[in-house]
Amino acid sequence: MLIIFLLTILISALSFAVQGRRRDYAMASSGIFLILTVIYSILRFHSGYTGGIISQETFNIASSIGIVFSTGVSGFSDALLILSAIVIFLSVLITEKGKYGESLYSYILITEAGLFGILLSRDFLFFYIFWEVVLIPVYFIVAQYGGPNKDSVSLKFFVYTHIGSVFLLLSIFTVYTFHYEATHVFTFEMSQLMVNTYFSQIPAFWMYFAMFGFLLAFLVKMPSFPVHSWLPDTYESAPYPGTVILAGGLSIMGGYGLFGILMPVYKSMGTGVMDLLMALGIISLVYFSLSAMMQQSLKRMMAFASAAAMGFVTLSFGAGLVESGYSASLELAGGMFQIIAHGLIMALIFSALFYISRSTGHESTHSLGGIFREAPILSSFLLAGLLASLGLPGLAGFIGEFSILVGVFGAIGWLILIVIFAMIVTASYHIWAAQKSLYGPYNEKLGAIHDADRATTVKLMGMLIVIFVLGVVPNLIYGILITYVGGII
Amino acid sequence: MSGITTGGLTVLGYFSPLIFLGIVGFAILGLSILKTSKKALSWITFASLGISAIWLYLIFPNGTSVFDGTIVFNQFGLYFAIVMIISAMFITYPSIYGLKAKSEIFYATLLFVTIGMVVAAFSYNLITLFIAFESVSIGTYVLASFGKNKRNLEGTVKYFFTGTIATAFILFGASFFYIDTHTFNLAVLTASTPSPELTIALIFLIVGFGFKLAIFPMHQWAIDTYDGTENSVSAFLSAGSKVLAFVVVLKMFLVGFSSDLHEVYYLFAVLAILTMTYGNVSALSQNNMKRLLAYSSVAQAGYLILVLAVVGSVGNTNSPVAAVAVAAGMFYAIAYIFMKGGAFITMNTVKGDNLQVSDLSGLAKKAPGVAVGFSIMLLALAGIPLTGGFFAKYLLFLSLIEGGLWWLAVIAILNSAISVFYYFRIILYMFGKDPQKDDIFNLENSFKIPVYVSAFLTVAISVLVIWFPTMIGIAPGLFR
Repeated sequence: MLIIFLLTILISALSFAVQGRRRDYAMASSGIFLILTVIYSILRFHSGYTGGIISQETFNIASSIGIVFSTGVSGFSDALLILSAIVIFLSVLITEKGKYGESLYSYILITEAGLFGILLSRDFLFFYIFWEVVLIPVYFIVAQYGGPNKDSVSLKFFVYTHIGSVFLLLSIFTVYTFHYEATHVFTFEMSQLMVNTYFSQIPAFWMYFAMFGFLLAFLVKMPSFPVHSWLPDTYESAPYPGTVILAGGLSIMGGYGLFGILMPVYKSMGTGVMDLLMALGIISLVYFSLSAMMQQSLKRMMAFASAAAMGFVTLSFGAGLVESGYSASLELAGGMFQIIAHGLIMALIFSALFYISRSTGHESTHSLGGIFREAPILSSFLLAGLLASLGLPGLAGFIGEFSILVGVFGAIGWLILIVIFAMIVTASYHIWAAQKSLYGPYNEKLGAIHDADRATTVKLMGMLIVIFVLGVVPNLIYGILITYVGGII
Repeated sequence: MSGITTGGLTVLGYFSPLIFLGIVGFAILGLSILKTSKKALSWITFASLGISAIWLYLIFPNGTSVFDGTIVFNQFGLYFAIVMIISAMFITYPSIYGLKAKSEIFYATLLFVTIGMVVAAFSYNLITLFIAFESVSIGTYVLASFGKNKRNLEGTVKYFFTGTIATAFILFGASFFYIDTHTFNLAVLTASTPSPELTIALIFLIVGFGFKLAIFPMHQWAIDTYDGTENSVSAFLSAGSKVLAFVVVLKMFLVGFSSDLHEVYYLFAVLAILTMTYGNVSALSQNNMKRLLAYSSVAQAGYLILVLAVVGSVGNTNSPVAAVAVAAGMFYAIAYIFMKGGAFITMNTVKGDNLQVSDLSGLAKKAPGVAVGFSIMLLALAGIPLTGGFFAKYLLFLSLIEGGLWWLAVIAILNSAISVFYYFRIILYMFGKDPQKDDIFNLENSFKIPVYVSAFLTVAISVLVIWFPTMIGIAPGLFR
């Protein structure tokens, strides 16, 4: 996997040298990365995975002060690696020839390298570096190719998430320093720092200081209420390939932070923090669902829907860790599954929306209308995405939400009614959106519109098949996730 | 004079790289008779600076102390000497553009200034430190006045007057220092006990050197001067001359006042917070490009003096945390030269003076390489990873946390988050907007290459982090 990662860095750096055919270059290389990642996963995770981190490698850079580059893959990060490879590949696929400048493709490839770096790094220094590196190309995607208000929106996006990141940095320093005081060894290794035996020894004030730094950084990325306000603006202003990356690729960062980084030290956190996370999860869920219902623009609505779906993830993390036994692992695995399913579904929705808005020139519910008559294929894909997003059984979205819902009852009791209320709201605005924009009388003002051509159909179909397969055979990754959870709790 | 342990000629040998620089300086003045082109002069200067740096490194009498401890040759001094020589080398080529006449005086002065810098890096005596510092100041007054327009003149005059006032403050502080301790030798002073005289000396010296370092509230000259002078001179003033002030301040307050570190801590913690915040907040609303960079360099000075706050709060110069903090400052200094100097030099690619941020619109379309290079430097100044600036800030904040000053680290980090706003605004203009006028950029190779070089060095400097443990090893050299 390390080789694949180094390849992504090399390829993304070389992409600046490619003139003229950079789209083909990006498409080929991201396709190859996808294939390589899948092959790697089949080889390493097909059988014999028993939890924890595999394929570990370490490079000493300045080991006397703890600067080493250490890598490794867990079951969870492997699933996210595949997800981000898929999403990046899709985002390159849906770009049109010649519409965007050449730099867009370089930015996309750098994003891929950064995401891989985050998921692979097992030491905090390089984790942080990649965490920040991902921001820069995405910032440029929004700032250079974005829609209206791109200047202020891209700046807001960057500063918001950067403030989250600097608190991450502070937390890293804190655990690093106390580790030195305790053992007189400088290290950034997560395997040393993020273990209960060490983490619980940190003086209480500093432990909570570090923990809230981590949580803030991850919740901003998630995004969770009340640090979400960058999200709808950024999703709306970004060009569609950028939105696909944001929704499918970048949203995993917060989830990975919680489940991949913080989970091993959950015992030190105490139930108060978990209660807080559960509360934030539920509030996000309800608040974002209600906000989404108010939106006219489909793109903005889906941005809120995406945030609401991540509320489930926060909720499952908090609830899963206060419980124990079967329901806990069900929930945690469900939360991780939700991250993956959400990434895939949002990528499908935004891609379908992209084609619709390209052929009609509109993306708000009231200026569309009845386009199923003219563009049945595109409409069906959007509908499929929406259904998956609201959690229709048989599609990937259902598995995550269902297992979270089953598990969470033990933790929050009858508060689950609020969650169910939010799910009803979610379902209703999804259906309304579909009804208003796809069905009903055709809005004649739109004139004749093109339906998807064959290439588009293939792209979206591929995505839908993945979602469908995961919905029917969730065990493809569910098993690995359960094993991963089992290795920790 | 019992302290002189080596023969006169040997000692003279130690100074041979400096003597060499001086001779070259006079030779350059002589060359004016031959009407040598300024390009040739710049290469001569560049080569002689390079030679003297290597020479200094080769003959370096590590650990020797001459003139009764007045000059101590240690690796800490060597590091900063070489860094400052590099900062001078860095502007030799780009400065050709700004020189209309009398270029030999410019280059000769640059060499003389460098001599002063190197002496300051090694001296541990208030008087030699002062003289070296003053020789640099006088030289930079000359450098700053190169150019004929009104803004230039205004900047130079402000620089000169505030510089003179600062000198008075330094001398006043130094005299109180002497009253209390009966010596000018900094290293000997470690034994003295805190007293009112020492506190007065401390405050006056901070004000005096604070002018040179351009820390709040002694920064106002810097904005006008950096704005008014030639780009390459601004680069030198804000990079080389600031690093010099930083070294001197480190020696002055951490060695000279090592008995009084608590007050050093309080004063510098407060000054650092004010400087960072003031610099960053003022830069937010600036539209003038060079003033923006000037405010950002005020903010950077605020980060630099965090080192003194850390060492001051630890209170023990032998502790490993103090070494880490000083080493972080060392790393910051070299990264700073390339990112800040490079940013000022990049301004050469835009025609005319009184540049606005909006003048950079569309640079990415006209010259993608320059825009990317400049963005790299801005990202480094903002402390974004993969650049030298990231590791510089990172190590600095790390030392803050290790010193237990987490609240100061929070303030510093929030400040660096604020700074993202104005650095990214420039990037937005370069990449997101169309050019306002045609023919506003100087895009010959001679303007582009310095940008590429500084961008490359800004990134490449992050490799130095491998030697950070070595830097921690030589950092305690400061204290003895």
